[in-house]
Amino acid sequence: MIGSLRNSEKRFNLLITLVLFALSIFFILPLYWTAVFATRTLNEVFQFPPPLWFGDNIVQNYRNIEAVFPPFRPIINSLIVAVPKTIGLVLVSALAGYGLSRYTRAPGHKAVLIVTFATLFFPPSLALIPFFLQMNALGWLNTYWPLIVPALASGFGVVWMYTYIGSTVPKELYEAAEMDGAKGIATFFFVVLPIIRPGLAALSVWTLISTWNDFQIPLVVISDGSKFTVPLALTTLSTTHYSDMPAVMLATLMGLVPVFILFALLSRQFIAGLTAGSVK
Amino acid sequence: MALGRAGKTLHRMRRDNAFYLAVAPFLAIFLVFSVFPVIFSLYLGFNRWDGFSDPQWVGFENYARALRDPVFQKAIWNTVYMWFWSTVLTVLLALAISVLINDYVSFGKSYFRMVFLLPLLVAPAIAAIVLRMFFSANGGIVNLLSGAISGTPSYFDWLGSEAWIKPLVVLLVIWRWTGWYIIIFMAALQSIPRDIYEAARMDGVGRWAIFSRITLPLLLPAIAFATITATLGGLQMFDEPYVLTQGLGGTNNSATTLGMYLFATAFTRLNFGLGSAVSWYIFAAVVVLTLVYQASLKRLRGDGA
Repeated sequence: MIGSLRNSEKRFNLLITLVLFALSIFFILPLYWTAVFATRTLNEVFQFPPPLWFGDNIVQNYRNIEAVFPPFRPIINSLIVAVPKTIGLVLVSALAGYGLSRYTRAPGHKAVLIVTFATLFFPPSLALIPFFLQMNALGWLNTYWPLIVPALASGFGVVWMYTYIGSTVPKELYEAAEMDGAKGIATFFFVVLPIIRPGLAALSVWTLISTWNDFQIPLVVISDGSKFTVPLALTTLSTTHYSDMPAVMLATLMGLVPVFILFALLSRQFIAGLTAGSVK
Repeated sequence: MALGRAGKTLHRMRRDNAFYLAVAPFLAIFLVFSVFPVIFSLYLGFNRWDGFSDPQWVGFENYARALRDPVFQKAIWNTVYMWFWSTVLTVLLALAISVLINDYVSFGKSYFRMVFLLPLLVAPAIAAIVLRMFFSANGGIVNLLSGAISGTPSYFDWLGSEAWIKPLVVLLVIWRWTGWYIIIFMAALQSIPRDIYEAARMDGVGRWAIFSRITLPLLLPAIAFATITATLGGLQMFDEPYVLTQGLGGTNNSATTLGMYLFATAFTRLNFGLGSAVSWYIFAAVVVLTLVYQASLKRLRGDGA
């Protein structure tokens, strides 16, 4: 009796697992097909049933992209933006997070903390127009500065580092450092930074990936095609060479590969970042 | 007395001077590139300005003009539609999937934990390109499939259809964002102590009762967080509809969102004042909805206790 009950329960669990598996196909199929189509000819892509396995036309498709723009240029452009921005953002955030979590009794501490948390609820679209005019006034339009410098102050990053440092660095450590004569900022660089490396890594992955995917601000700021970041270059290619689906798919795939490599290497840190906001 | 207090504050400030050094880089950049633009945007909203000639003070005219514009009215409706359906469907689907993975899946758990997350790595703009390819009227995979099923070749223009473009945007949001909420719900589910379930099972409480009486109330904060995040994104939606409609907003503006209306007003029609007024409408919507959520969360929690 109990045995058959267990059995039916097991069967039900298996059924649910299969349904979930079918659902998961819906989530990866578009990505898989992008990769398959990138290796196929135009004719093969328009056939029915569509190809499910890789073809051998990838070199020709690459040449077709080359005829429009150097295929690696947008990737390099995106790196030029994403790498310095990430390093800067992580440092600025960690420093502010350290200040907020250590000096809780400094006058003005509460005000800074409230402002930082409030920024999380501020829609970025509110600043879009004046931001554009400001960049214009600075002569920064069509350069990478607007994508890097203003982005260094991230309320999200500061909140993250503030909670992270608060939960990983024991207060006694600050007292010990003070006894050794280390000043506040020196303590940050020589004592705190080495301890919070996992938190820095998590914020870095998160920042790199979201910068890689940014669309609206680059669209507003960059007008010169040779300076386009990956999403801009791809949307342009997909409009101008709409009919050459395999080439567009290959370019798309190339733009995705760096992010997927990063994710494969640091998925744990990335996931830590996803849940960071929801803990509070 | 007052002097003593000021002296004490000054002493504190001197002792904790490292605090100001530590937050200075963040605050400086934040003031120059976020606070200043937002204040300037408030000023712009009351002016007519094309960026070249002198700004002209018009009071609330921009705010009134936006409301009279039929395209703006349509953009409100489109945004509400996309925000509502994408939020409801994404959160519900993520909730269902994560509870099912947590309670029923006995093998391949790490596969399920990863697979729904992959779309999140894809930029919204790039995801929209891929969706465009699949739903293209001429040789798109969806038309090929429906043609094969019905027996006659199909050339239906999904992206040009007024009825289908909004559901397609919603589909795109579901595809990309569900994985994030799954991660959030899974983390919340794992923080629920196992023995609560065991005890309920021993008492013969059914599966549905366990879900609705134990799991759901404990997940409420995570659901609230997911809903607020989805709402912040949904009300400002830009990338997905912009790329899906190649920046044009679809047939008869059927996919123009408030974010796209703002963008077109400012950067193609160079009406910075009207665009700024629109951005304050978006801000007001975000504030109102966040407050509504927080109030209803409080009530739900109060009733539960």
